[in-house]
Amino acid sequence: MTVAAGIGYALLALGPSLSLFVSVISRKPFLILTLLSSTLVWLVSLIILSGLWRPFLPLKANVWWPYALLVLSSVCFQEALRFLFWKLYMLSTLIHFALLLSSDCYAVLDLKKRLEDVLDSFADRISRPRLFLTDKLQIALAGGLGHGVAHAVFFCLSLLTPAFGPATFYVNRCSKVPFFLVSAIIALAFVTIHTFSMVIAFEGYAKGNKVDQVIVPVIHLSAGMLTLVNFASEGCVIGVPLLYLVASLTLLHCGKMVWQRLIESQNQSGSTLR
Amino acid sequence: MDRTQRPRSVLDSLGEELIGILTPVSICMFTVVLLVCLLNSDPSSSASFSSIATAAYSETDSDSPWDKLLGAFLNSLVFVAAITVATFLLVVLFYLRCVRFLKLYMGFSAFVVLANLGGEISVLLIDRFRLPVDSVTFSILLFNFSVVGVFAVFMSRFSILITQGYLVVIGVLVAYFFTMLPEWTTWVLLVALALYDLAAVLLPVGPLRLLVEMAISRDEDIPALVYEARPVIRDDSRLVQRRVWRDRRSSQNDDDLENNEVVNVVRAEEDEQRSEISVPLIERSRPESSETFLEGIGLGSSGAIKLGLGDFIFYSVLVGRAAMYDLMTVYACYLAIIAGLGVTLMLLSVYQKALPALPVSIMLGVVFYFLARLFLEVFVVQCSSNLVMF
Repeated sequence: MTVAAGIGYALLALGPSLSLFVSVISRKPFLILTLLSSTLVWLVSLIILSGLWRPFLPLKANVWWPYALLVLSSVCFQEALRFLFWKLYMLSTLIHFALLLSSDCYAVLDLKKRLEDVLDSFADRISRPRLFLTDKLQIALAGGLGHGVAHAVFFCLSLLTPAFGPATFYVNRCSKVPFFLVSAIIALAFVTIHTFSMVIAFEGYAKGNKVDQVIVPVIHLSAGMLTLVNFASEGCVIGVPLLYLVASLTLLHCGKMVWQRLIESQNQSGSTLR
Repeated sequence: MDRTQRPRSVLDSLGEELIGILTPVSICMFTVVLLVCLLNSDPSSSASFSSIATAAYSETDSDSPWDKLLGAFLNSLVFVAAITVATFLLVVLFYLRCVRFLKLYMGFSAFVVLANLGGEISVLLIDRFRLPVDSVTFSILLFNFSVVGVFAVFMSRFSILITQGYLVVIGVLVAYFFTMLPEWTTWVLLVALALYDLAAVLLPVGPLRLLVEMAISRDEDIPALVYEARPVIRDDSRLVQRRVWRDRRSSQNDDDLENNEVVNVVRAEEDEQRSEISVPLIERSRPESSETFLEGIGLGSSGAIKLGLGDFIFYSVLVGRAAMYDLMTVYACYLAIIAGLGVTLMLLSVYQKALPALPVSIMLGVVFYFLARLFLEVFVVQCSSNLVMF
C-alpha cells in the first residue's frame, strides 16, 4: 500500500531471520559463507524443479491435484538434496580454499575428508581448541537459515514489489486479508520450519538417529501439503494456523534435541575433568 | 552475572578475508539496485543515452530482434576495441614509467566521475524526492565531496574506510550510468567484456597480463582504481605479522613530494630493489576513452585480496539490468555473482597469480538471469498466487 506497508511485509517474513543473522551469524564470517552457499543450493534446486515442470505450466486454476503432485515432487527433490548436502558437506571445499587463503596453512587437499575433520585438523595446526558442539550446531543453523531466507525471498519478497505502490491486492480464495500479508505469514512459518529442521537433520545424520532423519522430510512434506488446504474457499483460515502448529512442533523438537545434546556434552566434559 | 571467557574457536576467524571482499561488492550491487528502482519508475521515458557504447547502433523499440542483436554486437565490438586501445595505451605509459602522469590522470578521472556523474544522479534524486536544496549549497557540497574523494583515492595516508567508501561510490555511479544503455546492448556487452577479460589477463600478449607482470617485476603498484580489502592481521605466535599495506605506498609518495623539480632520482632500499624516477609533467592531450579502471583480481603485497573497480562496476551493471525486469531475477543474479566470485577466489588461492574476475561471475549471472526469467518466474508466481508453497 505504501513504502511503510511494503517494508512491514518484508520484515514480517524476514524479521526473525534478520535478528538471528545479526546476533549469531554475522559474528563469524564462516557462517555467512555457509548461509550464502545453502541459499545458492536452494535456488539451484528451485531452478531445476521449475525447468522440469515448465512444460506443464500454467496449471488449471481450480484443480488441486496437479499442485499436490508438484509439491510432492519438489519436497522429495529438496530432501534428497539436503541429504546430498550433508553427504558431500560441500562446504569442505569452501573450507579448503579459506584455509589456503590464510596462506600459512598447508592443509591437504583431500576432498573426501569431512568438514569437521578438516576443521579439527586445522584447529590442531594453529593450536586452537577444536570445534565445540555449539559450533557444529551453528553451522547447521546457518545452513537452515540460508534455506529459509531463500524460500522467503523467492516466494514472498519477489512478489512484494506492487506492495510499495499505492494499492493492495486480494485473492478470491482468501478474501479477508491482503495477499501480501498472507504470503508473508506463510513465509515466516516456512522460514522457521526450514531453519530448525536443518539443525535436526544434521544432528540426525551425525548421530545416525533414524527418528530424526525421518522426521525432517515428514515435516517438510506435511507443511507443503497443508498449504494445499488454501485451495478451498477461505481455506487459509484453517491452513495457516495448522502450518504454525507444524512450525512450533519443529521448534519444540529441535529445542529438546539441542538441550539434550548440550547436557550430554557437559556431562562428558565434566566427567573427564574429574 | 559473569560469563566465563570461552577461548576463541577456529570458527571465529575463518573466511574473514572473503567477507572483506563480499561486503563491498554486495553494498555496491544493493545501492545500484536501489537507484534503479527509485529512478526508473516509468519505463516509457527512456532518454537516449549516447556514449561510446552506442556509437555504432542505437536501439529503438521498433526494430526486429535480429536487427537488435546485430546492432548490439556492433556496439560491443566498438566498446571492446576502445577498451583494448585504452589498456594498451596504459601499458605503454607504464612501460615508459610515466607513473606520475597516470596517477594524476587517475585523480582527474575520479574527480570527473564524482562531480559530473555524482552531480547528475543527485539532481535526479532531488527531483524525484522534491528535496528543497538551492544551487549554491548544492555546488559547494558537490565540490567538497568530489575533492575529498580525489584525495582519498589519490593519496595513501587516508582513513581506509573512507577510501573504500569512495571507491564503492565511484563504482556505483559508473554502474548506474551503464545500466542506462539499451537492453540487448547491455547483455551482449557484458558477455563480450567477460571474454575480453579472459583474453586480456590469461593470454601472454594480453595487455592486463603485461601490466601485471611489469608491476611485479618492478615491485610497484599499478596506478589504477583498485579496491583492496583490509588485510587481516592475526595475533598468533606462529603466524608472521603481516606488514601493514600502507607502508610501501607512503614511502613512494614521500619521494614524490620531495622531488618537485625535473630530476632523475634513483633510490635503492635495503630489502627491495626499486628505482624511483620522477619525470617532468608532460603536456598530453586528454584521452577521451574510459578511465583507468583495472579489471582482475590479485593478491596484494600484504596478502590482502585486491579487486579491480571494473569488476565492481560490471557486476552492478548486471544486477541493475536484472532489476529493471523484476526483483526475482535480481536475487538469482546476486547469488550467481557471489558464487562466481567465490569460485574465482578459490582458483586464486590455488594458482596464486592475477586472475580475471569477470568471466565466471558474468557467465553465471547471465545464465541465471535467463533461467530465472524463463522458468523460475512462471513456476513461483503460479505456486504462490495460489498460496501453495513448499
